[in-house]
Amino acid sequence: MPENTTATLHIINKAPEHARFRHCLASVQQGDTLLLIEDAVLALLDREKQLPGAFYGLEADANARAVANRVPADQLVNYAGFVQLTANHSRIINW
Amino acid sequence: MPQSLSYTLVITGAPWATQAPQTALSLAQALLRAGHRIDRVFLYGDGVHLASALSAPPSDEQHWPRLWSEFLSGNNITAVACIASALRRGIVDETEQARYELTASNLRAPFEIAGLGEWVEGNLKSDRVLYFHGAH
Amino acid sequence: MTTLIVIDQPPYGSWAGREALDMTFSLAAFDQPAAMLFLGAGVNWLCKGQAADAVGQKSVEKNLSAATLFGVEQILVDARACTQYGLEIDDLLSGTTPSESISETLSQFSRVVFAG
Repeated sequence: MPENTTATLHIINKAPEHARFRHCLASVQQGDTLLLIEDAVLALLDREKQLPGAFYGLEADANARAVANRVPADQLVNYAGFVQLTANHSRIINW
Repeated sequence: MPQSLSYTLVITGAPWATQAPQTALSLAQALLRAGHRIDRVFLYGDGVHLASALSAPPSDEQHWPRLWSEFLSGNNITAVACIASALRRGIVDETEQARYELTASNLRAPFEIAGLGEWVEGNLKSDRVLYFHGAH
Repeated sequence: MTTLIVIDQPPYGSWAGREALDMTFSLAAFDQPAAMLFLGAGVNWLCKGQAADAVGQKSVEKNLSAATLFGVEQILVDARACTQYGLEIDDLLSGTTPSESISETLSQFSRVVFAG
């Protein structure tokens, strides 16, 4: 494996069943962050999905889908947090 | 003072078909609040429907093309619809209307029509390029 | 800094893959290094013998065959998906490179752009 020196922000908007989700999870390396937006916030509830170390769901999308009240508050970020994550990562993959 | 960065936002998801225009607009507003700059918004593929001046949703629904054009005009942000994507999908400005001898034009201000070179330039010049796709 | 364009949509059922291909050629036209990865069902874009006129579309076979001439550095193909769809190397357009590990392939590119 080549060493990944740049921490990556992975942003995914697909439902957990989407084919891209598996590749996304497999690509999250140590030090990377996963941000779940739109349909992907359902992964916070998905008992069949093991999410990697650092992951967050977008609060607005979690609220919309009645996910927010079923997960710990520290798993959610608002749009300001979304901005902060994009500013902190020079390598970003939009899945 | 945190560092101010420049962003290019690429929207490929259409309004009323995907959530992409809403997610992108909420993020764009938050970017400006945090002191960052938006170099350019680039509409590609189905995303070009956001630049239609002819969308007429029910009055109790959000009007994404109007909300976007107000945001862009209010903040002096350049927004471009890819010409190849737009012409295929019937989004045309007056120049293209004349060129193809079409009966009307429907590009909503302040959107412009231009080539993929604008996207390439965004890749070169912006600190960050973010994509807003459909979820299908 | 090479941009990797990833296409995971199968051919002809949507325009997303075709439009991602246009993005790749546009990078190459502006002398920006570009490579492509065909992932999952997207590997079927690379299958020889497509008769896209049967569905009123243009085949992209010719464009893809010429991709490296236009300056596209590499055409990578998901080896596992090829096995899944029964595609041997001889069934594919020439000049493709199999990728055994998608995550490893992605990690080699500083910029990764998925088709919409």
